[in-house]
Amino acid sequence: MFKRAFFHGLTASVLAAIVGIIYNRIYFFATEADFSKVLNIGSITGISVMVCMLATFIYFGLATWLKKTGEIVFNFLFSIISFACVMIPISISLPLSIKTPELFPGLAVPMVFFPALAWYTLKPLFTGSNK
Amino acid sequence: MKKLIYPAAAVALFFASAFTVIKSQDWKIAEGYSIKFDGGDPSGEFGGLKGTISFDANDLANSKFSTSIDVASINTGNGMKNTHAKSEKWFDAAKYPSITFTSSSIAKTASGYAATGTLDMHGVQKPVTIPFTFDGSTFKGSFEVNRMDYNVNTAEPAHGSQKFKVDITVPVTK
Repeated sequence: MFKRAFFHGLTASVLAAIVGIIYNRIYFFATEADFSKVLNIGSITGISVMVCMLATFIYFGLATWLKKTGEIVFNFLFSIISFACVMIPISISLPLSIKTPELFPGLAVPMVFFPALAWYTLKPLFTGSNK
Repeated sequence: MKKLIYPAAAVALFFASAFTVIKSQDWKIAEGYSIKFDGGDPSGEFGGLKGTISFDANDLANSKFSTSIDVASINTGNGMKNTHAKSEKWFDAAKYPSITFTSSSIAKTASGYAATGTLDMHGVQKPVTIPFTFDGSTFKGSFEVNRMDYNVNTAEPAHGSQKFKVDITVPVTK
């Protein structure tokens, strides 16, 4: 049922956001590069929730439509899309007030995998029928 | 004759001090300047501005700009583009570390002033005229540069823009 998928997505988004915020702080202390204008607690949380909620709908749709292979297809899709999203932080142009855009991919590239990692990590807690 | 020594010294000091007044028209580049370029994609800014600015609205004949910017300071907002811009293919920052502008004449125009001089970029010197304004504390100028004129990645004329609008804002102090 959708309720199970929803709570799976919600907890995954919370976990991804927490990990993202912690990594953001560690990266700042390690490099002293300030990207708070584009990646801060608000934006990291917002993006995590957005991605995980989108994943919830896609997961539920696929699991309902493809009863046997829905989850496998979803996992492949989530991984492939996450990997493709690596191009976003590499190609994005930041505000010119940020003087070290070279360091941005080092911060943001790992973050694109956090929602998927959180989703897969929490999956055992939400096993069962989604019908 | 001895009586004239001190009046002569006073007169000499008076005229010498007049030169210090003229000298005071030299301006120091202050923090907060910007040299932005806009070609759609890419757009960005340069830093590392240094040089001498001698400008007196009442004495344009003795006014002069001699400035340079640091090519390696280019910031497009994207690390990958910054690296490309500094590479041999584009600005070749290792071989041509600075872009310089040296004025040869400054003239009054209807909207402000125009500095004519030589822009030295990527090892190519070209005459340019930069229209600008000065409000007493900030110079503002704008002009257009075609990278093909300066042999910047001529092998790929369609890669990004050829023409760039350059906007310069330089606050100054005495």
